[in-house]
Amino acid sequence: MWSKSNSIVVAYVFIIALLVGALVGGYTAPLFTGWGIPVEYHNLCALEVIIVLGLAGYFLGAEITPIMITGSMATLVSLTYGQDPLVRYLTLAAMLFSIGVYGMTVSRNAVRVLMSIELMLNAVNINLVAFARYVDPGMLKGQLFAVFILAVAAAEAAVGLAIVLAIYRNSSTVDMEKFSLLKW
Amino acid sequence: MANAADLASLATTHLEPWIFYAASFLTIPLAFGVLLDKNIIRAGFLLIGVFGGISALFLILQAQFLAMAQLMIYAVGITLVVVIALMLTNPRLEYETSIDLPQQRMPAITTCCFVFLVLYLCILSEGWSSTSQATTEDALTILGKNLLTWYALPFEFASVLLLVALIGAVMLAKADHFSPDDISNDALTTSDLERNEDVVEVK
Repeated sequence: MWSKSNSIVVAYVFIIALLVGALVGGYTAPLFTGWGIPVEYHNLCALEVIIVLGLAGYFLGAEITPIMITGSMATLVSLTYGQDPLVRYLTLAAMLFSIGVYGMTVSRNAVRVLMSIELMLNAVNINLVAFARYVDPGMLKGQLFAVFILAVAAAEAAVGLAIVLAIYRNSSTVDMEKFSLLKW
Repeated sequence: MANAADLASLATTHLEPWIFYAASFLTIPLAFGVLLDKNIIRAGFLLIGVFGGISALFLILQAQFLAMAQLMIYAVGITLVVVIALMLTNPRLEYETSIDLPQQRMPAITTCCFVFLVLYLCILSEGWSSTSQATTEDALTILGKNLLTWYALPFEFASVLLLVALIGAVMLAKADHFSPDDISNDALTTSDLERNEDVVEVK
């Protein structure tokens, strides 16, 4: 049984899971033929092993933070290795977007929620710049839209933090759990 | 003899995946650190690392102007504003006892994994017709011309939005409301004027 802080063990387990998943994925790929998933991407099956080992580590008592970090890195490598470059960037952006969604839903500090929104906006920026590089290298429309997103993000940060400061002055807390003014 | 163009093409074809994985291995743990660090001020500074990694990704995507703009606007400007807000809302800079809600943690993780899987399957099922052709040399010229001709109206709207956001942020964050009469009565008293004259004389 692992101790609570034994995160290096979890990291090694995920590296082993990556190797095993690449092997197992080739054998279990025919199981998914009827699902409509493009099955030539055998890497998708490495996800099974990563998810199973992550859940096993969680129930054996490892901390949840190293499980999430190493699991997401292993997922990124196993899903994008050997793929088209555009798919790599889009996958990284989808992962950053999901991390932002997670932070926005669970954080208690209101400023941290705003930081998560910045992460999500950056994920969208990566998408747009990758499109400008690999789909439209002559006209660079994606970079133009990324410039507009930069401006909107600056405005959003200023107004959002001002709102947080105004709430803090009224209720002297930034805990999302205590913002229950609108509760019936 | 290999000239610069050959070296550049070699770098883009062979080194690009490695730089991509290096930058993403910098970005993803730092993003988790932003969300999960118990010391909120350190989380605010980790945001600089996330934006730096993303600007490295922009550099290998041949968007040099956007990489520099990312560094200047996000990694310096927005992070500074966030850190100042953290200092104002947590004056003693103490560790937070609980950063998240334990009963929401597992549903949130499940939901986010599902969101990521759906996005990934959507990305895969689309047949991208990506080109390996390099971006144009005068990217900055194209951006400037487009911003001032074809996208002039959104550009103006963006400037109006920034102005409105600035004024609105000042109005929202201002401490107490005072009327113009207070300024005219209290701001310049005779003692202030005398103090100014003293300063001038000392100089």
